[in-house]
Amino acid sequence: MRRELRSMVTAVICFLLVIVLNFLLPRLLPGNPLAYLTGVSEEGLTTVQEEYYVHALHLDEGLSRQFAHYLGSLLDGTLGYSFKKDAPVSSLIADRIWPTLKISVPSLLISSALGLVLGLSSGFATKRRTDSWLTPLMIVLNAVPSFLMALSLVLVFGFKLRLLPYAGLSSFAHLILPVTTLVLGMTPSRYLLVRNMVAVQAKERYVLYARQRGLSDRRIRYSYILGNIAGPFIMALGIGFGLAVSGSVVVENIFSINGMGKLLTEAVYTLDYPLVQGVLFVSTAIMAIAIILSDLAALAVNPKRRLENE
Amino acid sequence: MSRRKVLTVIGIVLLLGFAVMAAIPSAIAPYGQKEMFQSWLNPSPEHPLGTNRLGYDIMTEMIYGTRTTLVTGLLSSLISLALGAAVGALAAEEGFIGRMVDGLIDVMAMLPKLVVLIVLGSFIRGGGLSLIILISVFSWSSTARTVRARVIELKHSAFTENLRIEGFSDFHILVRHTIPNTSDILVSRFLLGLNSCIMMESTLSFLGFGDTFHPTWGTMVNMAYRNGAFIRQAYAYLLSPGICIMLLSLSFYFMSIHFSSRKEEVEEVI
Repeated sequence: MRRELRSMVTAVICFLLVIVLNFLLPRLLPGNPLAYLTGVSEEGLTTVQEEYYVHALHLDEGLSRQFAHYLGSLLDGTLGYSFKKDAPVSSLIADRIWPTLKISVPSLLISSALGLVLGLSSGFATKRRTDSWLTPLMIVLNAVPSFLMALSLVLVFGFKLRLLPYAGLSSFAHLILPVTTLVLGMTPSRYLLVRNMVAVQAKERYVLYARQRGLSDRRIRYSYILGNIAGPFIMALGIGFGLAVSGSVVVENIFSINGMGKLLTEAVYTLDYPLVQGVLFVSTAIMAIAIILSDLAALAVNPKRRLENE
Repeated sequence: MSRRKVLTVIGIVLLLGFAVMAAIPSAIAPYGQKEMFQSWLNPSPEHPLGTNRLGYDIMTEMIYGTRTTLVTGLLSSLISLALGAAVGALAAEEGFIGRMVDGLIDVMAMLPKLVVLIVLGSFIRGGGLSLIILISVFSWSSTARTVRARVIELKHSAFTENLRIEGFSDFHILVRHTIPNTSDILVSRFLLGLNSCIMMESTLSFLGFGDTFHPTWGTMVNMAYRNGAFIRQAYAYLLSPGICIMLLSLSFYFMSIHFSSRKEEVEEVI
């Protein structure tokens, strides 16, 4: 119970930290906070405009009052205002959140399933052949930068073989390449996690006894060992989802998917600071929710953990 | 030779190759850094990887990019190693401070690193050095975790207890015994940290947050991509810097295997 609780508390602290960071960044950095908050350079403003912005953004009030206004903008769901795009940040992000989820959720599920199945089989028998080629393969895969993976996939399947579309997200076929990129990037860490946990479990006595009772390897793996590693594995899913969302920044840019990651880079290029901060806020929120849900799920699958005090 | 040794040797050879490229690029590069040719030439014996939009030889550009890539990775992983070791040792303390610092490690490990770095990078635009500092400030959590575990283990080991009974000061034990006993994990964490710092830097540079005055391999891929290397079919230009990053990262990984497995148990250093 303690471990799951601790992870949930950490997720909430992370979220609060990002909120404070978002508030302090434009105000404490050298330079006019107005430039950061509007994205318009000082020279481009007339005095009247400047006064208008200063008042609209409450910069003429004290820091604590400003923080209250800032929290208010988070609570009423606008997340600030993008002066560059002339729209509330939340509405800009709301349009872009689905494409990101559409590629990150399937890739998280597929990579976790792959990591679990492969990790169970090679961690159970670390001396056997599957482990001896699969683990090095995963280590090499882990060293491939995601942009290299994405570019090579586009090149081979999009340009040379002309099999799959590589721009946009208008059909199911459009999903294949971006999801494959993310899956190939995320599977190694999942696989290694499971493999190492299983390798520890395989040395335990209950495995030995199960073997002596003549149970099949498959039975031992899936109904004995899996139960014991399920908790930590599910907990890792939450963090994995956070990683998938940030990993999709690269993928969305290469595959021209109009998701949150692409929105983030566009906002950075156009110096739209409120939007940049909004994306950070939303992605941290998604991550925190995913972590809390996965911790709850880890407790749900293992009733014993709810009573244990470690 | 065991498989582990073979990997270590491969890692050292690869790294030596890159180190030479970083140290004396002018001796290896086929052309000068500012020598111009026809733009978008296809790979040929004269230009193994072709030429780019401005007509620079890509092979040359890549060899010159080795130094910035390596130096960026080295500096950021050194800083993050120092941070991680200090925080890890502090987190091993018993009581309130230790618990707080331990919580801080968890928080740092959980933050969505790439997004946070992009956001901070957009606010703090200061070129190469600020990127190095940003990367290292967000990369120390796993080092801190390993160091913390080891320091706690050492604190409760029999030989430390013995030293304490013999009347050695805490400072003496820390400097002469605890720190030497963490050296192996520090080396392996340093190598793995190099790996993740180079990956992070190249991803950020690929997204266009790098220092364009001192291009790294990631910046090169970004340039290639943005200048339409796809349409020009300059595939070698697009892929080769990424492959170099992969080889560099593997070389560090192979070397780290050597260090992380050499001492599995805690040894006494007297």
